[in-house]
Amino acid sequence: MRNNSEFAVRLTDVKKTYLMGKVEVEAIKGISLQIPTKRFNVIIGPSGSGKTTLLNLLGCIDIPSAGRVEVCGQDIACLTDEQASDFRAENIGFIFQNFNLIPVLSAYENVEYPLLLMKKPVKERKELTLKMLDAVGLTSHKHHRPNELSGGQRQRVAIARALVKGPKLVLADEPTANLDSKTGQSIIDLMYAMQAENHTTFIFSSHDRQVMAHAEKVFEIQDGLLMQDKEL
Amino acid sequence: MKTLHIAFRNIFRNSRRSLMTILAISVSAVAVHLFGGYVANIIYGMQSDYVRDNGHLQIYRKGFFDYGAGNPAVYGISRYQEIMQLINADPDLKNIVLMMTPILRFYGIAGNFKKDVSKTFYGLGYIPSEYKKMRQWNDYSMKRSRARLERIVLADSDTEAGIIGEGMARMLLLCEELNVKNCAEKPPEANGADLPAEAKEDFSFLSESDDLNPEQEAADKRPKLDLLAATAGGAPNVVSLYVNNTEIQGVKALDDNYVAMHISLAQRLLYGKGQKKVTGIVVQLRHTKDMALAKVRLQQLFDKNKLDLEIRDFTLIVPMYKQVISFLSALFSFIAVIMGLIVLFTIINTMTMSVMERVDEIGTIRALGLRRGGILRQFIAEGLVLGVLGATFGVLASVVLAYGINNSGLTWIPPNYVDRVPLTILIFINPFLVPGCWLGLVLLSVFSSVFPARKAGKMVIVDALRHV
Repeated sequence: MRNNSEFAVRLTDVKKTYLMGKVEVEAIKGISLQIPTKRFNVIIGPSGSGKTTLLNLLGCIDIPSAGRVEVCGQDIACLTDEQASDFRAENIGFIFQNFNLIPVLSAYENVEYPLLLMKKPVKERKELTLKMLDAVGLTSHKHHRPNELSGGQRQRVAIARALVKGPKLVLADEPTANLDSKTGQSIIDLMYAMQAENHTTFIFSSHDRQVMAHAEKVFEIQDGLLMQDKEL
Repeated sequence: MKTLHIAFRNIFRNSRRSLMTILAISVSAVAVHLFGGYVANIIYGMQSDYVRDNGHLQIYRKGFFDYGAGNPAVYGISRYQEIMQLINADPDLKNIVLMMTPILRFYGIAGNFKKDVSKTFYGLGYIPSEYKKMRQWNDYSMKRSRARLERIVLADSDTEAGIIGEGMARMLLLCEELNVKNCAEKPPEANGADLPAEAKEDFSFLSESDDLNPEQEAADKRPKLDLLAATAGGAPNVVSLYVNNTEIQGVKALDDNYVAMHISLAQRLLYGKGQKKVTGIVVQLRHTKDMALAKVRLQQLFDKNKLDLEIRDFTLIVPMYKQVISFLSALFSFIAVIMGLIVLFTIINTMTMSVMERVDEIGTIRALGLRRGGILRQFIAEGLVLGVLGATFGVLASVVLAYGINNSGLTWIPPNYVDRVPLTILIFINPFLVPGCWLGLVLLSVFSSVFPARKAGKMVIVDALRHV
């Protein structure tokens, strides 16, 4: 039996309803699950199954309509907007499907950005940023803006940005969806290697069953319900 | 990498739009600076002219300003030399007073009996050398016409002479003798032929007999007028005035009545052989900013010495000065408000478009942990950068344009002036114009960006991230 501190995330009968115009859409229909720490977890399911909604809740950028979401031991419904922002800045790293790099910043500056939000001193920022760029193999591209980088390179920058602050939890929402299969595989390999090196909890959503090759735990959801929860 | 640094890069993501916004701010700054500089030129030019003619302050016997014009003999100041010495000796006033001179204002009738014409006049008696010195005052280093200085062709020794307005010269039929240009010929039906014989009588018999030397009078070729006024005792008195020149006045009513003369002649006319008085003492200060201080100190001095005197500043003596300032200030405010509204709507439009183009980016940085306040700061910083760049370019463009205009040789005739003066744009003469406009535009830019910034800050993160 694991205690609370061994779970990065604990969901208890979580529901999430959206209003699409005047129509109510129930994206999550009552999910209870626990995601262990320091593991490479995958949430798998077809498009529209509720993966992104679930990740949004885990990333504290959305709140449940019902139920309880605990991230790193914190009930996210208890956080004010500012507290949630600080909590995300401190504990959560995001990797987006569309990379979502800040276009006016160079690769170096994009990676440095989360450290600025944490108000880290200049020297520490520089050290951590260069280390992370080196880890993703982009030291030579550090002054390039996102529009000067390939898709794979952009996603590497995004991975470095997510990991640079040493977060407790990294959420990756279909990070390979916009990459060709070879580049996508290299990104998965990189994330797996980074997870192993940094011992961070990774939660990776995908509708591609191939990504399960590296997964230590898989959560399969469909139509807003948890269908399967299995260790690999 | 600070907020301003990122803001600077963000505003040049759409460089054309940002340049147009900066241009709009700059054009507004140029409009405000140039109009402000033009208004300053008029105001400081008017002030300089009024101070040259009337000084900053005038000291009268109490009641003269309101009632004395009707009876200058009664409201005269007899111990004016002592009063001037008293002021000169005051240590507080010593450093701020540039000069003082007595004047005598009165009304009378001027006659040119060679031509059988006479008319009422407004008389001003002054000491020519001191009046000339007063006209040198140029505390604001204004470019000006030399003509006004050169028209005073009276000498201190010339106690029988004076200068009259061009309108006065025309009415007294002295145009030819005084070389007055553009003098309309008198209509034949108004030549005075139908006047009764007694009306044509010369009133020089009223003159005190020892005033004029007949030989000297015969030798002098200058046109001569007989001036009639009531003395302090109420009796009529007459003196003769040789007209040296004409000096056109900016206002026709004054030009048609103006007779300036040596103060001793005016005193002889008004007081006869009795006590010599003046109606006022003109005080010219080194700087206009000292006017309130000088006024207070003078009043203290008069109270202490139990002197029954009052002080009026030039803004009361020439009420048009304040009226013009008020009119120009309203016009300037109107232009500033219009320009401000243009800047306001331009920046709101630019920043709103910028927010709409960056919805997913806003979602991303909010997800990374930036607070709503951080988003607000980011967009306000962009408004600030736009404002600073626009206002600064505006100042630079204004300086260049003002320099160009000031050195273009353009001239104009301001209201109530008679001479053409150089058209100058004095954008730095008012120390608040440039910094005030710059700061105003920057603050307005910041204010304009608050609404779009608040909109960005209030975005729901998941909606922003879903935005395509």
